[in-house]
Amino acid sequence: MRRRVLKEDLRLKKIIKNITLADWTLFLVLLVVSVAGIFITKEALPRGTDVTIEINGEPAYTFPLNVDRTIPVSGPYGDTLIEIKSGRARIREAHCPNRVCVKQGWVSKGVIICLPNKILVFVGSGGGDKSGKEIDAVTG
Amino acid sequence: MYKKSRMLMDTFVTITVVSGSADEADEAIEKAFSAIERFGALINFFSDKSEVAEINRKAGMSEVRVSPATIDIVERAVYVAAKSGGAFDPTIGPVTKLWDFTKKKKPSGVRIRNNLRLVNYQNIIINRDKQTVFLKEKDMLLDLGGIAKGYAADLAVINLQQNGIKSGLVAVAGDIRGFGSRPDGGEWKIGVKNPRQRNGSDEIIARISLSNKAVSTSGDYERYFFINGRRFHHLLDPKTGYPAECCRSVSMIADEGVFADGFSTAVFILGPKKGLELVQALGMDAIIIDNNGKIHATPGLEGRFEIEENH
Repeated sequence: MRRRVLKEDLRLKKIIKNITLADWTLFLVLLVVSVAGIFITKEALPRGTDVTIEINGEPAYTFPLNVDRTIPVSGPYGDTLIEIKSGRARIREAHCPNRVCVKQGWVSKGVIICLPNKILVFVGSGGGDKSGKEIDAVTG
Repeated sequence: MYKKSRMLMDTFVTITVVSGSADEADEAIEKAFSAIERFGALINFFSDKSEVAEINRKAGMSEVRVSPATIDIVERAVYVAAKSGGAFDPTIGPVTKLWDFTKKKKPSGVRIRNNLRLVNYQNIIINRDKQTVFLKEKDMLLDLGGIAKGYAADLAVINLQQNGIKSGLVAVAGDIRGFGSRPDGGEWKIGVKNPRQRNGSDEIIARISLSNKAVSTSGDYERYFFINGRRFHHLLDPKTGYPAECCRSVSMIADEGVFADGFSTAVFILGPKKGLELVQALGMDAIIIDNNGKIHATPGLEGRFEIEENH
C-alpha cells in the first residue's frame, strides 16, 4: 500500500519535472482564453435574462428567458397569450381593439405594452450591461 | 437607482430616481405618480368629469372656473400656439375627431373645411384673476393632449425634488425630463426611436445625453393608416386639417417638458426648414428626421448627440 503511494508520487514528480516552458505557456493561454470567453460572450450577447409581466401596474410573474413557455393572462379584453421562445418574448394573441402589442412581434430586450389590457411585458429586466452605453429611456 | 412604471393618463409612465434608500425612492416615486394621476384627471379630453370637458361643454356659453394647474397648462398651450403661428393649436379637436386612425376613416374635404372654422387658439380666453377659461365659439373643443404629457413630466420632476430626490428621470411615454445625473455621474442617455422600424422592436436611430432638460418626440408612426400607399397620420396641420407631410419625426429638447412636447408638434407641422428657424429663434434644440429620412440636428446638440451605427 505504502509502496504504491510512493510509486504514484514518484510518477507525478517525474511528470512535473518534464513539464516544459511550452507546456506552461499553453496552460496559461488556455486559462486566459477560457476566462476571457466568459466576458466576451457576456459582452457579445447583451440579452436580458428574464421576462417580467406586470398587470395593472403590479408585477405578477417573472420567468427565465431561456425556458420556452406560453402564459395566459386575463384582462378586460379576455385572455392575452404571452409566448417565450428561444430567448425572446412576444404577445401571441390578444383581443384588444388595435392589437398593437401583437403587431410589435418578438422582443429580445425591451418592453411590450398592451394599454387596453393594462399588461406590461419587460423582456430582459434582470439583465443590463454596465458599460455606460445603456439607455435610460426612449423618446418617440 | 430605482425604477418603477405605472399606467397613468392612458399611457406608460416610468420614473427612475437615484437614491441611497429604497424606501425614500419608493415613497417619492409613488407621490409623483399620484401627482400625475391628479393632473391627468383634470385635463382628460375623454372623461366627462374633467375640467377640460367642462370647458368644452360651456363653449360659446360661459367661462369655467378651473384649478391652477389647468390655467397654467392652457396658458402654455396658447403660448406655444402663438409662438408657432398656429402650427400647434390646442383647439384642433373638432378636426381631429373627424379622423379615426384605428378604423382607417378619412373624412370628406367638406367636413374638414367646415370644422376648420372652429380651430383658432385666439378664441381661448383666459382670465388669471378669476381663474377661468372660456372658449368663444360654440362647438369649439380644447384638447391639451399635444402638451399634457410633457407638462405631467414637469409636475413629476417638481414633486420628486420637493421630496428630496436630487437626480432622476421621468418618462411619460416618450415625453421625458431628466434632472441631476446618473449614479455614475454621467448624463442621462435617451434613445430616439427610428421612425421606420426595421426589426420590429424598439429600434433606436440616435441617442442624446442630457441633464436638467426635457425631450419629446412627435412622429408620423404613432397613429396612422395607409390609403393607396399614402400615409395618413395623427399630426394634423391646423391650417389644412390634413396630416403634415414634411417630417417623419421631430425630437425637441427644451428646459421644460411642456415646451418640448408642444414645440415638437409645432416643428413637425412646420417642416424642417421653417421648423429649424423656429427652434433657433426659441433658443432650443431639435433633431428632425425629414420625409427622406435625412437627420437634421441643431448645432447646440454637438457633443451630446450620436447617430447609431448602420444609419
